[in-house]
Parts: sequence; structure tokens; C-alpha cells
Amino acid sequence: MLRVSAMQNATEIDLQAINGDADGAAVGIEFGRELMRFAESVASRDEALDQHRQALLEAAGPAVLVDAAAVAANFQRMVRIADSVGIPVDNMSNELGQQVRAELGIERFPSAGNSVAA
Amino acid sequence: MTFFDYESAPFPIRADIAEAHRSYWEKLPRPGSWWTGAERVAIAAESRNAPTCRLCLARKQALSPEAVAGEHDCGEGLPATAVDAAHRIVMDQGRITRRYIENNVAAGLSKEAYVELVGIVVAVLSIDEFHRGLGLPLERLPAPEAGEISRYRPAMLSEDTGFVPMVPVEGSVGNEADLWPGGLTANVVRALTLVPDAMRDWRAIAAVQYLAFDRMRNFGQDETRAIDRMQIELIAGRVSAVNECFY
Repeated sequence: MLRVSAMQNATEIDLQAINGDADGAAVGIEFGRELMRFAESVASRDEALDQHRQALLEAAGPAVLVDAAAVAANFQRMVRIADSVGIPVDNMSNELGQQVRAELGIERFPSAGNSVAA
Repeated sequence: MTFFDYESAPFPIRADIAEAHRSYWEKLPRPGSWWTGAERVAIAAESRNAPTCRLCLARKQALSPEAVAGEHDCGEGLPATAVDAAHRIVMDQGRITRRYIENNVAAGLSKEAYVELVGIVVAVLSIDEFHRGLGLPLERLPAPEAGEISRYRPAMLSEDTGFVPMVPVEGSVGNEADLWPGGLTANVVRALTLVPDAMRDWRAIAAVQYLAFDRMRNFGQDETRAIDRMQIELIAGRVSAVNECFY
């Protein structure tokens, strides 16, 4: 969806932001570096969450921080819905989806078996 | 005392977020389709116990979760299969398999009860994660309410995908007509529809934490959000990658 939204907005982005590349996150996305690091800390439950929350707050302000926390929390839920009932990707033959998955190398994830074997 | 009183929060919290969280907290302690009010609140508690459970932390490091035996750090009021499922959904969801769910069925945890449990665990988790992300204390759990479970099953179900039955694409009719008006859906939308209220509950929370279904095709700036769609999807993608979610 990041690739699709970038295309719709005619903006160049670096998809490696999804894999944690902070410099990549800064390409084409306002506060991208701070948003990526905050999201990463929420998902990984690491000790840097306070630091990354403060950095995002100082860079972007409280409204952005609150909305970012809401989206991160939402996807903490969505990934668990998908994997806990084993749903496959809806359309594995979609060309853009194939490109994105190859670029990110996510077929290494255990839950890829729910889609690749389907 | 009001739940989710964000007036004292260090940042202004959108009113629609508070309303959605409060609405879920009103439903959580009531009897559901397959779990009593007390059991639903106990499942919510296990969603919170999982991140510090020593067995879960050890399993997370193991090549296979089955390689580590032991007992979960947990509360009371639930069968062991339900506790294990709740903890795995929080801590190791990527390694849940069809065989795991079938083994749980053999041990007495029906697929219907499992799906409702998933719905509770993830709804509570998403509300708690919002608080943790902002450094806010977790809301106290509500007191259970008495009453009978409904044992409701949708009239149309299929087993065409995933590990559990789901309402088929063409099944959004009758009591389920509100699930995907217009006929457009996706596997993740169908995922919990064996217990339709579980899907309705996460949809309501997702509408404020992420986007409402009818705004999903808006790739520009949503006037109700402080971040644009690319910023939203950057966060979504990074969280999904850290969780090793292929979907």
C-alpha cells in the first residue's frame, strides 16, 4: 500500500524503509525517519520507544504522534488477525505485489507459507 | 468513573478514538457468541499477560514453539488451550498453523471459540498498544457482566481459505449484510467472520486507528488525520515487517 499511495501521489519513495532503512524512510515522506523508528519501536517493544516517541513529537508535533500511535497499534492487531487464521494474500499473481514482495524479501517470513503454498 | 478519559493525557487525543475505545470496553464484558462475560475479560487479561510470560519469551527464541515445554504465566478462569492460544496470538502469531488449531479443536477449543478469542485478544491489544505507544497507562479492565452466550453462527460459511470457516464473498446478506456492503471484501476482512461481531468490533476500532473501509481508496490527505496516506502506510508496513507478517 505504501508503493500504491506513492504512485497515486506521484512521489518517489524508497521501499527499504519497510525493512528499517532510516535513510530510505526519509525519501519522499515527511518525518519518514521519525515515523519509521517510532513504528519499529512499538512493534518490537524495544527500549528506545520513549526516545523515538520524543523525537517524533519534537519533529512533527502531538497530532502526528497520536495518529502515528493509532496506526501502529492498528497494525499490531491486523498482522495477528491475518496470521492467527492463516489467510493467504488475496491475489498472489498481482504484478505490483510480486515486485514489492521480491524487493522486500519477505518470503523468508514463516507466515509466507499461508500464501505461497495456497 | 468513565473509561478512556483522555483529558489528562499529555497530548490531545481525537474524540473519535476515545469513543471507539470506550464502545469496545462496553461490549468486552458482556456475554459473546461463545465465551461468557467473565471469560471474555479473562481473555483480555491474557492479552496483557503474554508479553511478560516467561514461557512465551523462551518459545519466541526457540526454533519451534513446541520445543519448549512449561506453563504460562497467566491468570485464572480459562482452559489451558485458550490461555496458550491467547499468548501465541500476541507473542508468536507467525508460527500458528492449521495443525495447531486442529489440535486445539481436538482438545476442546472449537474454531468458533478460537475466532472469538482472536477477536478479543487483538482488539484489546490494539487499544493497549495505542496507550503504550503514547506512554499512557493501560485502561483497567471492565467488570464482567452475567448472561447467556448466543452460540450464533452465520448462515453462510465456507472453508475456501485460511484455517477456519469464513463468510464467503457472496455471503454478506441477511444478518451479515453489513459486513461488506457493495460486495467488495478481502481475506483479512473475512478472517474473523465465523463470529461476525468479532469482525464488527475490529472494524470499528480500525476506522479510527487507521481508516474506515469507505476511505481505503483515498490515497490523498484525509481531512480527519494529521498524517497523509504515505506516512500511514510507512508505519503500517514497518509494523508488519517487524512482526514478520507476509500478508
